[in-house]
Amino acid sequence: MKTTLLTIVGSMMIFLFSPGNVQAQLSGEAIMLKVYELPTGDDTQGELTMTLTNKQGEERVRKLTQYLLNEGETEKKIMFFTAPADVKGTSFMNWSYTNGKEDDQWIYLPALKRTKRISSSGKGDYFMGSDFTYDDLGDRHPSSDTHQLVREESLDGVDCYVVESTPKDPDYMYSRTLTWVDKSRFIGIKREFYDEDGDLLKILTIKSTDEINGFLTILETEMKQVQKNHRTNMRFSNVKVNQGIPANKFTERSMTLGQ
Amino acid sequence: MKTKQNFKILSAISIVLFLAISAYFFKAMTENTRMETNLDEYMPKDHPDFKYSDQAEEWFQIKDGIIIAIEHEESIYNPESLRKIKALSKALQDMDAFDDNEVKSLYTSDNIVGSAEGMEVESFYKRVPKTDEELNLLRHKVRDNEMVQGRLVSESETIALIIAGINDGAFTEDLYNEILTLAESYQSDQERIYVAGRPIVEGTLGLLGPEDMKRMVPLVIAVILLVLYWMLRSVRATAATLLTVFLSTVWAFGLMAATGIPIYSVSTMIPVMLIAIGVAYGIYFFNHLKQFLMANPEADLLAGLSYTLRKLWKPLTMAAFTTIIGFISLLSSEVYPIKYFGIFTAFGIAASYLLALLFLPAITILWGYRIKNRSNQKVASSSPSSKNIQALTEGILRRKKLIYILTGVIILFSIWGIQKVWINSSFLDKFEKDSDIVQTDAFINQHFGGTSTLNLVLESESNDAFKQPEVLELIDKLQSEAVAIPEVGSSFGLTDYLKRMNKVMNSDMEAYYTIPKSVDMVAQYLLLYEMSGDPENLTKVVNYDYNRTNLTFQLKGDDSKTIHAALAIVESYRPAFEAHGVALNFAGSGYKALVFTDLILEGQLLSIAISLGLVFLLLSIMFRSVKAGLIGSLPIILTAIISFGVMGLLNIPLSTTTALLSSIAIGIGVDYAIHFLQNYRNYLAESSNASEALQRTMQTTGNAIWNNALVVIAGFLVLLFSVFPPNRMLGALVSMNMFTSFLGTLSLMMVVIHASRLFQKKGSK
Repeated sequence: MKTTLLTIVGSMMIFLFSPGNVQAQLSGEAIMLKVYELPTGDDTQGELTMTLTNKQGEERVRKLTQYLLNEGETEKKIMFFTAPADVKGTSFMNWSYTNGKEDDQWIYLPALKRTKRISSSGKGDYFMGSDFTYDDLGDRHPSSDTHQLVREESLDGVDCYVVESTPKDPDYMYSRTLTWVDKSRFIGIKREFYDEDGDLLKILTIKSTDEINGFLTILETEMKQVQKNHRTNMRFSNVKVNQGIPANKFTERSMTLGQ
Repeated sequence: MKTKQNFKILSAISIVLFLAISAYFFKAMTENTRMETNLDEYMPKDHPDFKYSDQAEEWFQIKDGIIIAIEHEESIYNPESLRKIKALSKALQDMDAFDDNEVKSLYTSDNIVGSAEGMEVESFYKRVPKTDEELNLLRHKVRDNEMVQGRLVSESETIALIIAGINDGAFTEDLYNEILTLAESYQSDQERIYVAGRPIVEGTLGLLGPEDMKRMVPLVIAVILLVLYWMLRSVRATAATLLTVFLSTVWAFGLMAATGIPIYSVSTMIPVMLIAIGVAYGIYFFNHLKQFLMANPEADLLAGLSYTLRKLWKPLTMAAFTTIIGFISLLSSEVYPIKYFGIFTAFGIAASYLLALLFLPAITILWGYRIKNRSNQKVASSSPSSKNIQALTEGILRRKKLIYILTGVIILFSIWGIQKVWINSSFLDKFEKDSDIVQTDAFINQHFGGTSTLNLVLESESNDAFKQPEVLELIDKLQSEAVAIPEVGSSFGLTDYLKRMNKVMNSDMEAYYTIPKSVDMVAQYLLLYEMSGDPENLTKVVNYDYNRTNLTFQLKGDDSKTIHAALAIVESYRPAFEAHGVALNFAGSGYKALVFTDLILEGQLLSIAISLGLVFLLLSIMFRSVKAGLIGSLPIILTAIISFGVMGLLNIPLSTTTALLSSIAIGIGVDYAIHFLQNYRNYLAESSNASEALQRTMQTTGNAIWNNALVVIAGFLVLLFSVFPPNRMLGALVSMNMFTSFLGTLSLMMVVIHASRLFQKKGSK
C-alpha cells in the first residue's frame, strides 16, 4: 500500500499514541506494535506550515490547509496551498487503499484551471522537496521490519526504550532505524535513519505535542538530513479531530474551490 | 706537499658537507614527495573569479562528469545493452566517489510524461525490457523526451551515455583504474565502451606526467653524457659534471618535499632545466682548467684550479645571478605551479652554482684530472678552427648593413606573428591528436552536446526573479541562440523543465513547448515538479529564493577559442539581462581554465617585463655602463621577439608549459651576453684595438658559447621524445631560443659593440 503526505497528522498520531499501561520487559516487536496500534480519529483537519532550510540557510516556507478522512478501505486526503501567493489555491488530493492498489493522486493548478492526475514513482520519493519521504510520513506496518530492544535510556529527561528496526526487504532505502519510545506515554519521540552504507542519514525529532479532542497530537516535528545539512520543519496549528468532515470534501470538484 | 694534503682534507670536508646536505634533501624527497593531480589545485584560490565559481559549484552541486558511452553497432534498444546501462549505472552509484543522484543515465533518469488526463514522472525502465514491443515502447518514450533524446541517447540511437558527477577531491588513481577496468569488462563483440570526461582527462594527465619523467630522465642523461664526453674528453670530468647536475636536482626536489609542496606537471620540467644549466657550468669549469693546463704544461692541478676559479667566479656569479633572476621573475605569476617552478628552479641553479665553485674543485682534487694529448694544442674537435673563426668574425663585421637589415626583417615578421599568438589551457590539447582520449572525446562530441561544460549563473536582487516569464523567455532565447553556433552542443536549465512541463500538461502539444505565460503558472509547475519528480534535480538549476539560477552549456571542446565563442553569445545578452536587474557570472571548470589562461598571459607579460628590466639593470651595474646594459639586452630581446613570433606563425598556443619559455630564454641567453661582454672588456683593456679584441673574444668566448649552446640545445632536444606534445614544443622552442641567443650574441651584438665603440676610451681606435 502506498501512503502519502496527507497521512501526516493521522500517522503522527498513530506513531505517538499509547494506551499508557506499561508492561515490564516488552520485546522490541511488542513495543513497536503498541506504538502502531493506536486509535486515531476518523477525520482530521489542520493547518500546516512547512519550512525547508538548505545548507546555505535559505528558507522555503509553504502553508497549507489539510483534511483527512479514513473510510476504512480508503484513506482520503486533500490539501490546499495558502502561501506563497503564487501557488495559492493549488490543491492536491490523494486516495490510498488498504487493498494494495496504487494511490490515486490529483493536482489542481489554478493557473491552468484544470485538475490533472499525477503519479509519483514510490515511497522513497521525497515529499515536496522536504526531507520526509512519503514512507517517513506514512504508517509503515511493524511487520515490515524486525525489531530489537537495544537499550533503555533517558532522552531529555524522558525515560525511553531504544528500538532498532531492520527492514526485511534488503533493498529498502534505510538499512536500519533507531526509535526512542517514551516509556511512560509509550510514544516515539526521536528516530534516527541509517542509509544503505550504515551511515546516519536523518534524525527525526518531535518538538511539541498536545492533546486535542482526547487524542495526543504532534504539533511540531523536524527532520534533519545530516549528510546534506538540510532540514524540514513541520508545524501544525488549528488541529481538529473528528469534526465530521463530509465525504464530498474529497472530490475533484472540491479541489477547484481552493479551500 | 703539506698544502696539497691540506687541500685534500679540505676537499674531503667540502664533499662530505655537500653529500650530507644532498642526503638530507634525498631523505625528504623519498618521504614527502607527492604528485598533484587535482587540477583545481593549480588555480589561485583567492582570485575573485575562482572564488565565485567555487561558490557557485557549491550552490548548484556543479561537478565534473565522468562519461561512459556504450555504442552498439545497430541500436542500443536491445536487452543486453540496456542491461549493461543498468548495471554500469548501479556500479557507479555504489562507488563512494559518486552520489546516487549524480549518476545520470537512461536507467536512472526521470521521464516526465503527459497523458490526456494528467502527468506522470516515471522511470524509463526498471526491469530490463525483453520483448520487441517493450523495446519499441522504450524507444518511443525516449524519442518523445527532448530532455533525454540527444543528451543521454544519441539521435542515431546507437550510443547511450552514463554521466557521473564526481565528488570534490574524490578522484584518485585507483578510482581511475577501477572505472577503466569496469568499463572494459562490459565490452563485447557488438558493443564498444568509451570513457571520457574532464576527470578522466585530468587523471590520464596525472599518470602520464611521472611516466614521461621516467622515460625522459635516462634519455637526457644519455645524451648529455655523450655530448659532454665528446667535449671534455675525460671520464672523470664528465662524471663530476653529471654528479653536480644530479645533486642540484636532488636539492631542488628535496626542498620542495621538505616544504610540503607537491610536484605539479610543470615541475617535471625542473630536472631538464637544471641539467641544461648545470652542464654548462661544468663545461666552463673544465674548459678553463684544460686551457690553463695546456698553456702551462708544467703547472700542477692546484695552480690550474686556482686559475680557473679566479677567472671563472666573476662571470659565473653574474651568469648564475641573472639566470636566477630570470626564474625568480616567475613569482609575478598568479599561477602557483609556475611560481613554484620559478622558485625551485632558481634554488636548483643556486645549488648548481655552489656545486660548480666548491664541489667541482674538491672532487677534481680528490679524483685527479688528466687531459689526453696535453702537448697537443688543438682544442676540442667540436669547435671550429681558429682560422675559420677569424674569417667569420671579419665577414660579420664587414656586413654590418646586411645584419641590420636581416634583423629588421626578422623582427617585422616576428611582430606580425606575435599578433597571432593565442592562449590555450585546454587539457585535451595536451594529448596526441590520435590518442584514445582525444578520439573518444571527439566521438562523444560528434554524437552529443559536448564533453566540456560552461556554467552561467544568473542572479537578481529580488526574490522570484526567475519565475518571471519575460526573464525566463530571455534565458530561453539566449539558449537557442547559443546552441545555434557550432561550438555549443546543448544547454540545460530551469527553462527546460518548465517547457517540458508546459507541454506535458497541455496534452503533449508541441505548441506548448514554451515558457509558461504567467508567474503563477511557473510557480505551480515548479511546485508540481517538486511533488512528483525528484526535487533535488531542481536545486541544481535554481535556488530556494528563485533569484539565482544555473544554466549549463555543453561545449564541443575545452580550448579557449571554443569557450570564448560561447562567452561572446552570453555577453551579447548582458545588457538585456541587466535591464531586468539580472547579473551574469560564469562558473565551472571550463571557465576556470579560461581565467587561468588569462592569468598565464598576464604573468607571462609581467615576467618578461620584469626580467628584461632586471637584466638591463644588472648588466648596467656590472659593467658600469648603461650602453653595455642596452647592448647586452639586445640578444635576449631579439630572442623573445622571435620566440613569440614563431609561436604565432606556427599556431603554437601559449599554455602552462610554453609560458615558461620567456624566463628560460632570458635566464640562459643572458649568460652569453655576459661572458662575451666580460671577456671583450678584458681583451680591449689589454690591446685597446677593438677589432683585435673582438677577434680574441670570438676565439675564446665565442667558442665557449658555441659549446654551451650545443649542450643546452642537445639537452632540450631530448624533450622531442616527450609524451606531451606541449613539452615537445617547449623543447623545440627552447632549442630555437638558445640558437637565436647564440646567433644574436655573435652577430648582432658583436656588430653593435663594434659600431657603438663600447668600452672604448675616447680617441682610441
